[in-house]
Amino acid sequence: MSNDFPLEGIRVADFTWVGAGPFLTKPLADHGADVIKIESTTRTDPIRSMAPFRDGEAGVNRSGYFANRNSSKRSICLDLKHADGNRLALELIAKCDVVANNYTPGTMERLGLGYDTVSKLRPDIIYLDMPMQGNSGPHRDYRGYGLTIAAAGGLFGLSGYPDRLPVGTGTNYPDHVPNPLHGAIAVLAALRNRRRTGRGEHIELAQLESTVNAIGPALLAASAGQQTERAANDDPVAAPHGVYRCAGEDKWCAIAVFTDEQWTSLASALGAPQRASQPDLASAEGRRNARRELDVLINSATCAWDAEVLAATLTKRGVPASAVLDADALLNRDPQLRARNHWIRLDHPVMGPSIYDGIPYRLSRTPGRLRGPAPLLGADTRDVCLDLLGMDPETFDSLHQQGVVG
Amino acid sequence: MNHSETMSGPLDGVRVIDLTSRLGAYTGRLLSDLGAEVIRVEPPGGVPERSHAPLTEDGLSFSFAFTEAGKQSLVADSTDTSNAVQLEHLLSTAQMLLTSEGPALLRARDMSPEDVTNRHPGLVHVSISPFGLTGPYADRPASDLTLLAAGGLLGLAGDPDREPLRAWGNQTSVIAGVHAATAALIALLSLESTGRGQVVDLSVQEAVAHSLENAAQYLDLEGVVRHRVGAGPAEAGTGLFKCADGWVYLVGGLGGRPLAWESIIEWLTDQGIEEARTLDADKWQERTWRRSREGSTAFRRIFEKFAVTRTKQELYESGQGRGISVAPVATPEDLINDPQLVARDFFRTIDVGGNKLGFPGSPYRFANAYVGPRSGPPSLGSTSAAKLSTPAGPGYERTPA
Repeated sequence: MSNDFPLEGIRVADFTWVGAGPFLTKPLADHGADVIKIESTTRTDPIRSMAPFRDGEAGVNRSGYFANRNSSKRSICLDLKHADGNRLALELIAKCDVVANNYTPGTMERLGLGYDTVSKLRPDIIYLDMPMQGNSGPHRDYRGYGLTIAAAGGLFGLSGYPDRLPVGTGTNYPDHVPNPLHGAIAVLAALRNRRRTGRGEHIELAQLESTVNAIGPALLAASAGQQTERAANDDPVAAPHGVYRCAGEDKWCAIAVFTDEQWTSLASALGAPQRASQPDLASAEGRRNARRELDVLINSATCAWDAEVLAATLTKRGVPASAVLDADALLNRDPQLRARNHWIRLDHPVMGPSIYDGIPYRLSRTPGRLRGPAPLLGADTRDVCLDLLGMDPETFDSLHQQGVVG
Repeated sequence: MNHSETMSGPLDGVRVIDLTSRLGAYTGRLLSDLGAEVIRVEPPGGVPERSHAPLTEDGLSFSFAFTEAGKQSLVADSTDTSNAVQLEHLLSTAQMLLTSEGPALLRARDMSPEDVTNRHPGLVHVSISPFGLTGPYADRPASDLTLLAAGGLLGLAGDPDREPLRAWGNQTSVIAGVHAATAALIALLSLESTGRGQVVDLSVQEAVAHSLENAAQYLDLEGVVRHRVGAGPAEAGTGLFKCADGWVYLVGGLGGRPLAWESIIEWLTDQGIEEARTLDADKWQERTWRRSREGSTAFRRIFEKFAVTRTKQELYESGQGRGISVAPVATPEDLINDPQLVARDFFRTIDVGGNKLGFPGSPYRFANAYVGPRSGPPSLGSTSAAKLSTPAGPGYERTPA
């Protein structure tokens, strides 16, 4: 195992903020890229003001929501509306391989930092815009958040109990999964292409377009004239398939039966082996037709079981099953996450030792690593100005006094 | 910027062998969209995913059509030794191998990542597996639903008085796919600079646990365990509201603070909802009132009086026109007709066994290259070992390890 990082030598001017953008640049930073996050002292990343905070006390350097998305990065503060601040941003970009932003369309252009300007400075720049609706089209100026993108993108409306209002995933899913990671994929592919051809790239990731790919099969069905409805925990292939009540307060076990063997194993584990031989339940189709009735029967058996014991019993017999884990179980008890050292504790200068999500994959030869906790606001302004941009300390101090850098 | 499917993409010259099941299938689709040559290996008769419901009238699975678009299909009988030799040869011509089973099943197929990369030092083996290649649960059987449970996302979704709820579709395939493709490309950059492959060990449980918003940090920093709370945060002005043909999602407040509140009041009064003027009262600026059940209910009564007379699309356009964050709770039918997606020419019509299906375009657009689905899913055995006997390329020469 060597300690080299595949993205070492790649520098990113990171203008992204809030949810989706910072999770795009994080995997780059964790695998060696020098990601320089650009904020201003007056317009900080709004997620710095979002809970949870260390000990519940708000502050720009106390948010765990912010910290978790910004490991391994540097932070600088520039007043982009000031002529000198703007010039510094362009000087920085000239030394970068990648520029990323998720502002509303036209913002980077108004700041004089749009693709056309930047590509004159760095023709081989990889420049990513991440607007909500796209840089063109009748809805280009619409605004929204993770939840409204999930609603407009279709996943929210499809996720729910058929007899109730849709409920979605309970999270701002597009901000955590499809949008940032599709963005990271695009940037990495463009870096690979640049290495071969010398050409840069202008990438436009419309968050709506990215999010609708999460329900791709439903869109194909719609285009063939077939409707897709909310189905709670039903599955089009497996039955029984659901989340069943277990012993204790709000304890549940997810169980999925795909094959006849799994059905036999489930029935015998739950103490109803005679059910397994019932002819109308012997086929997947029969079990699907009887699924509501089976759900009632299974619930009446599982409610006496400890969820984790049940999951262990079923999986040992080949039936996919898992207790429904909450954050306490995930952080403090799950033997698998513990064995894989999933959660990372990093010592943050203000927040102290705090929990960060681990990287969900390991590269055997060039593993990434959370190389440092989230940066304090403006922690690296001086280093970047002096060491990277070659500014002399007197100029820095003067710009600092004027509030151009912070 | 008109690019065509025949243009080379950013992953031109990369060959990927795809042995995944449903759990890993989106990974190869992403790589194919970017121009990689992705070869789906299937047993005689095809992978079972081809016939997973729901199906086209001709009996092809929509989810298979979506995840396999642009790939080629090679039939190989795993019990036939000459096929095994062919597959081994194919691996020697490829840059990447994708699998999505746990370690015991991989061993049984002679596909243990460590062995594969020993035999092929210039190969990146992207191993997507339910729990990763190590640890006490590594060989536990799993499915989309059970992995959402094991990774913690299931517990955050649903109404508190009902069972936790699955996100629609096979979201673990999306969650695993986007992380796996990211990791695969990082490993590809390393391969192309050093000539050395490696194993990417992705745990789907961990990828799901990476999607919990701030739940881990809430526990760590504030000692709070988040639970499912239905459709979203309980705050006046924010959430689902009924309209003439479904629901809209309105964000009229965040974190206990009103958002575009004046605009909302004006919007409603302009429509003749006189009671909207009561939203001007000071209490609507206060966090405790905004987060009270009374506050939410009072707002809902006033807003829905107007909303139920309008369609999702009308509310979307008129609200957004006033700078208010409102969005339709779109159905798939709404999306294929969405004015924005249609104006941007997002959908691509692709022939799937004689049926024209509208595929969503790629999640991203490149100004200088074609990215996106290049063709429909392959017919069984669309390519053969003989056709694939030469390495992918041009543009990439493997450096010996």
